[in-house]
Amino acid sequence: MPGDEVVLSLEDIEVHFENKSSLLDFGGESETVRAVDGVSLDIYERDVIALVGESGCGKTTLGKTSIGLQRPTGGSVKYRGEDIWDIRDGKVDTDTEWADIRQSLQIIHQDPGASLNPNRRLVSILSEPLRQVNPNLSKQEKRERIYALLERVGMTPAADFAERYPHQLSGGEQQRVALCRALLMNPDVILADEAISALDVSLRVEMMDLMLDLQEEFDTSYVFISHDLSNARYFTAHSGGRIGVMYLGQIAEIGPAEAMIQDPHHPYTNVLRWATPDLSLQDAGEVPMRKIDIPDPVDPPKGCNFQTRCPEAREACRQADPQSYHAENQRVRCFREDEDHEYWESPELTD
Amino acid sequence: MASTTVETREPDSEDPVVELRNASVTYDDGNSYVLDHVSMDVHRHEVIGVIGESGSGKSMLAESMLDSIPDPGVLRGQVRYNPSEGEPIDVLDLTTEELRQLRWEEISMVFQGAMSSFNPTMRVGKHFEETLSAHDADIDEGLAFARELLQDLYLEPDRVLNSYPHELSGGMQQRALIALSLVLEPELLVMDEPTAALDLLMQRSILRLLRELKEKYDLTMVFITHDLPLIAALADRLAIMYAFHPVEIGRTEEIVQNAAHPYTRALLNSTPNLDAPIEEMVPIPGSQPAPINVPDGCAYHPRCPLADEQCRSSKPDYVSVSDRHTSACYHWDDARDEIALNYSENLGDAARSGGDE
Repeated sequence: MPGDEVVLSLEDIEVHFENKSSLLDFGGESETVRAVDGVSLDIYERDVIALVGESGCGKTTLGKTSIGLQRPTGGSVKYRGEDIWDIRDGKVDTDTEWADIRQSLQIIHQDPGASLNPNRRLVSILSEPLRQVNPNLSKQEKRERIYALLERVGMTPAADFAERYPHQLSGGEQQRVALCRALLMNPDVILADEAISALDVSLRVEMMDLMLDLQEEFDTSYVFISHDLSNARYFTAHSGGRIGVMYLGQIAEIGPAEAMIQDPHHPYTNVLRWATPDLSLQDAGEVPMRKIDIPDPVDPPKGCNFQTRCPEAREACRQADPQSYHAENQRVRCFREDEDHEYWESPELTD
Repeated sequence: MASTTVETREPDSEDPVVELRNASVTYDDGNSYVLDHVSMDVHRHEVIGVIGESGSGKSMLAESMLDSIPDPGVLRGQVRYNPSEGEPIDVLDLTTEELRQLRWEEISMVFQGAMSSFNPTMRVGKHFEETLSAHDADIDEGLAFARELLQDLYLEPDRVLNSYPHELSGGMQQRALIALSLVLEPELLVMDEPTAALDLLMQRSILRLLRELKEKYDLTMVFITHDLPLIAALADRLAIMYAFHPVEIGRTEEIVQNAAHPYTRALLNSTPNLDAPIEEMVPIPGSQPAPINVPDGCAYHPRCPLADEQCRSSKPDYVSVSDRHTSACYHWDDARDEIALNYSENLGDAARSGGDE
């Protein structure tokens, strides 16, 4: 269960990418992609937050910004109350060093095969973080810790696995090594970027269980990025976490896992729920959106950014961008949360 | 979104489009099987989902239907294709030229990752033109049909045909590829993880569109995937692959509600979904065998809680469990009692009444 202390605090984060016009068209205007556009989020100790949304919604950019891998173009990222980019730039007088922050914020990538050095044995891959965290460990002590952790993640006999190269492992084993490598840094937050998406369906539950078991032992938080609501639900519901639904750079709805699944408020959360297959064999019906493809992020819709596809959109949604409303357990960016809003009087959008 | 209101042709189990008989693919001088004596039919106008984890042989099953096993694999057995009109064709006896005509015109295939199927230096429209001319089809008529297909897939024909592949999103590319695979009006569409690289919302949207295409154009589809819940709403039948052959085949409701193989039941229970109580989702211990290392007897016995001496020593034959539902397990009846499905409370009475119709 999450603790009370905030580890990471994101305030009004903006990440805008300039798409510079090429040398040939001098008159061309540069295009701006608003990958993240005004997101505020607190991540607590031992917290679990799942960010879900379709490709191009900004979930990976937000994740990378939260762990200091991407500098935001607006807003602030605070680690235990201190602005990490001020520390990076040496603007503040503090004992916290950039290297400590980098060490505390780790990442596991989607493709574990590509994130492990193919020319090094596991023992060498896993010694590296130990050396950085604790330079005084003897070779023997490092080996013992590595063996113990490999055994803990079910890779036995550890002495045998430790001498293998990454290509001698299955995808699931590679991902467990990537998890071990992140954990050995003693991080406060691990960003798991589609970390289970490349695994077979039958292995995903096992990997999520392992990540959650180790969370308690290593006292870490997870930011879990996924396009699959059922995985996000499994991962967050087991740990008292939250699910945040992202759409075109904004958090459309965020709340506790079961509330998001059982009682979604935002029409887009409903669309994601429709997209999550189940075994009930009931006909889920037609695509509950007016358009299948996400709008061009260079030219996002005016007003509410979901209005071009939203099945509930009305004229009012074109006029203004909804602020964040408090629903029972969730925060929702949709006029439908306000009973008195002019939305209810305005005509439906049908195109 | 508008739906098509075309009368659906029911799948006909007496009228197979493709019949596989003892189809095997071997590598390594015939010593390791990556497809192991598979006999099954694809019924006309059905969608059959072939479900398997990585390395279960599911892609080999798909490729064997077009005799397109990558070298140096060797395909043996019988693959018979029955066109809706005309004589049955033994696919493995065809010449290279005959095979070239069969592919795309009669049996078409869509792979995962459209980016590697398209030529990156050629506009999408050119792919349609080249395909039509390579098969001596009328280009103007073909392109008109291509436009209709693209529209069926919620794409703007002009924009898509004039774009280079990289100018389209992944979901648009994959839909354009599906349109390309259908432009010669094939009888059978074989899809190997056609949506796997896409996000879930696009995957489900494409599945919904495939269902509409299937009804509109009377297609038969083989859909290969590792994701059982994804295909459950579309498929008429499911075939569950384990260790290079199907261990259970049956109608989708039968498989989901009354699976009669311990592996299928474990697979269903290990799948994250929104219905099951989360405490009850359990992984399957162990892993699938490699081709050089398939256990004797039933290949699943080292992972099976019901395995006994018989399972270790002799390979089970298919047992007819109920109408059009077969399972390769000695203990299929016990499996239903002893391995409870974790979502069965949500299935209503059908799940508990037993499947022996």
